[in-house]
Amino acid sequence: MTNPKRINLAIAISVSLLAVITVLAVSKGAVEIDLLEMTGVDRDILFYVRIPRVLLAGLVGASLVLSGALFQYVMKNPLADSFTTGVSASSAMGAVVAIMLGFGAILPLFALAGGLTGLLAVYKISSVRGRVQPITMLLAGIVISTFASAVISLMKFLSDDAVSSIIFWLMGGFQSASMGKVMILAGVLLISFLVIRKDYLSLDIICFDDTTASSSGVNVARLRRKAFFIAALLTAFSVGYAGIIGFVGLVVPHVVRLLKYVKAAELIPLSLLFGALFMILNDLIARTVLSEGQELPVGIITSSIGGIFFLYLLIKRKKELFYFD
Amino acid sequence: MRRIQDSGFRLWFFCIVLIAVSTVALIKTPPAYAYGKIVVLYAAASPILKELGAGNRVVGITRTDKTFNDAVKLGSHLRPNIELINALRPDLIVAGSARAFPREMAERVKADVFYYDPRSLEEILVKITDLGRLLGKEAEAEVLVKRLQAKLSLVSALSKKPSVIYEISSKSLRVAGSMSIITSIIEAAGGVNAVKVEKKHVLLSPEKVLESNPDFYIYQVGPMNKNPEPPLKRPFFRSLRSKVVKVPELEFARPGINAFEAVIDLNKIFRGEYNE
Repeated sequence: MTNPKRINLAIAISVSLLAVITVLAVSKGAVEIDLLEMTGVDRDILFYVRIPRVLLAGLVGASLVLSGALFQYVMKNPLADSFTTGVSASSAMGAVVAIMLGFGAILPLFALAGGLTGLLAVYKISSVRGRVQPITMLLAGIVISTFASAVISLMKFLSDDAVSSIIFWLMGGFQSASMGKVMILAGVLLISFLVIRKDYLSLDIICFDDTTASSSGVNVARLRRKAFFIAALLTAFSVGYAGIIGFVGLVVPHVVRLLKYVKAAELIPLSLLFGALFMILNDLIARTVLSEGQELPVGIITSSIGGIFFLYLLIKRKKELFYFD
Repeated sequence: MRRIQDSGFRLWFFCIVLIAVSTVALIKTPPAYAYGKIVVLYAAASPILKELGAGNRVVGITRTDKTFNDAVKLGSHLRPNIELINALRPDLIVAGSARAFPREMAERVKADVFYYDPRSLEEILVKITDLGRLLGKEAEAEVLVKRLQAKLSLVSALSKKPSVIYEISSKSLRVAGSMSIITSIIEAAGGVNAVKVEKKHVLLSPEKVLESNPDFYIYQVGPMNKNPEPPLKRPFFRSLRSKVVKVPELEFARPGINAFEAVIDLNKIFRGEYNE
């Protein structure tokens, strides 16, 4: 039974935290800006570089987390995320093709095409008479992911001098953030959230088993298709705009579950806020930890911090992770 | 009996003298004869070998090298095919750096290895001299070094040192650091690299570019930066006030003979006389 007071309080605290972190991220960066006494250059940096970047980081974080949570529901597997389903690697494959062919300006479109191709392949392989089999889907995802990774490796091998550009891009980052990208991703995320919001109860029910879910009136096959498509779309846009950023989609929903918010109506909104918060924080570290305006690829930070934090939680509270059992 | 002993002694003495003379001759022979077959695993070094008149000795090159059309292609500079290299039985391998052609890889080839990894124009001249000495082409090397030094004398003095940021790749934004050959080219052309980080390439925040406000923002186009979006069209650079110039990567960012031509071109850019 959802406790509205408890979830509302949690959301209020998360929103407040997100606001504080956002203000901190906007005020800190490679260049010191006094928000009360800004020069023309300071204003340019703030409005054209920093604010779009902070917003994009938040949106990518939220998108990856929603995508990860949906994959975990659809596949009934706590280890499922955009990596295990092959969508992340397929999107990256599309993006790397764009870099190699010199179509960097329309890279997100290539990432989207790659991601959707990977999704379609996984869906076709794992469908039996229109019904998606979670285990087959997971295996198909791993196969597609492995294949896409092999293609990326081949392209890196063939690209000689461009290899470093590809490697750096794959490590993830928000350097090329713009308000245009922010608007597009905000639109995609908002629509995805509103669409999936209607299915909270159905998502909870399919966690049991398909027979129980079907007898409860849930169209399991349709719900899986819908959730899978939304998750893939969010992943493809995120990869296209920011490269491969690992661990976020996998870890954040589990952290929220460990905080005892397990129903979709609680888990999804809170995960979105936590994901945005986590990614903004990671990007802040990535762009301020080194001196003289140097940056670290944000994927390195997310994997390091996320990994250590998740390991700590796993050791402390491992019994509580068997939500899907 | 004594005659036999005398003739024996003469023969022995003659042999000793012959061996001694041969040894001295072998020691004094320049190693040119030892390096009859050369494999070049770093394309920037090939034009130097050609200028030194050693092009006819080059038997193997990397797949991107366009200097010697008759030589065997041996793969990329980072992953050369060791079997193919061994099949060519080279005497000398000219490699880029110990990272590109590590010692373990070098041990699998029965050939001497010369590492060509200059970080500045001066180092390029030193490497040319070294190669000349190795190949018995000292005179040619000296002529080439003098010619390249003379080229640098064509640089016109500037009233003020312009600051420069040189873009290596736009995805992600990486620029030339102080350890890059680009810095040496910029300085020889009369400018100064605004990026002081002691690395070859630096992953730099766009914020830092705007704050530095360099006189020139130069972006290369080539294998490392294929078809980049022009900087002034990028949303985060819309307020960039620098003079933006596009240059060909292969002519600017390779530590070879081309680097000296790049100095002249860059000097023209600083003086506003350069046409892309």
